[in-house]
Amino acid sequence: MRLTDYLAKEFCIMDLKATTKEEAIKELVSVLASSGKVKDKDDFVKHILERERLGSTGIGNRVAIPHAPTQSVEGLLIACGRSKQGIDFQSHDGEEVNSVFLIGTNPGDLNLYLKLLASLSKLLNDKLFRDEFAKVESGEGLIELFKKYEKNPIAATV
Amino acid sequence: MALKTMIVSVAGSPGSLVTAKYAIYLAKLLGLKLFAVYVVNERVLQELLRSRIFVEVEARAYERDLEQQGRVFLERIKKMAESKSVEFEGILLKGVVSDEVILKTKELNADILVMGEMKELTSRAEVFYDEGERIFRKSPCPVVVVKNTAGVENLFKEI
Repeated sequence: MRLTDYLAKEFCIMDLKATTKEEAIKELVSVLASSGKVKDKDDFVKHILERERLGSTGIGNRVAIPHAPTQSVEGLLIACGRSKQGIDFQSHDGEEVNSVFLIGTNPGDLNLYLKLLASLSKLLNDKLFRDEFAKVESGEGLIELFKKYEKNPIAATV
Repeated sequence: MALKTMIVSVAGSPGSLVTAKYAIYLAKLLGLKLFAVYVVNERVLQELLRSRIFVEVEARAYERDLEQQGRVFLERIKKMAESKSVEFEGILLKGVVSDEVILKTKELNADILVMGEMKELTSRAEVFYDEGERIFRKSPCPVVVVKNTAGVENLFKEI
């Protein structure tokens, strides 16, 4: 189980047009819909926004991880977006967000979903990873970066 | 000394169902009582709470959902075992998956532990932190790792 088994360059938006949390979520859901695995885009967005109402998924360090299980998707889907101007996600640290990772899963894949969320959280806690992530300029580059850190997380964090 | 009990570690995935079928097959052949253990992974929920990805009410909801999935999954395995006249008991636990599986294996004095195929490791860190690796290494009894899952269905039908 690796993030790069699910995150593809087609699901990476290097420059989000969105200026609000809701727009960012809709933009990322739209890109995932191109996979053909989103059965109901509006319902997917609704579930993600309902989760946001429980508390922001802006976890600090200018990163947000909106997520939700929903019957509206098949399997597990991940999209990633970067915003140059920053988006107000009502983050815990009060900072705007420049990186958004959106994750949706069918409720039947909960164990996998939780493990992937935990893996992503560990990776995003790594300042070196975040610094490199901010410099990458293409979807291909992002995938390569994830692969590099998944392959050797110890060396990458020393 | 005759073998008496076998334990199988399951996680609710389609792959786990195949592992369970192989365990039923082996238990039938060897005349063993089969225990299946499903562990609600509390560690991952705690990690997600600490990292602020989850809020408390959300983590509790996932815990309940995982418990419910575990119950349904164990019930499914129970029916499969009964259909093959294999004595069976399902056990639902919460905690760190590898710790709970090993504790239960010791407690039951199991003779064989069956587990699913371990993932390919990509780093040294995974050797220490992967739950499957930890179960494999810490088991107090012989371990059967189920591979060639394509053939399991045929074996299951044979018994």
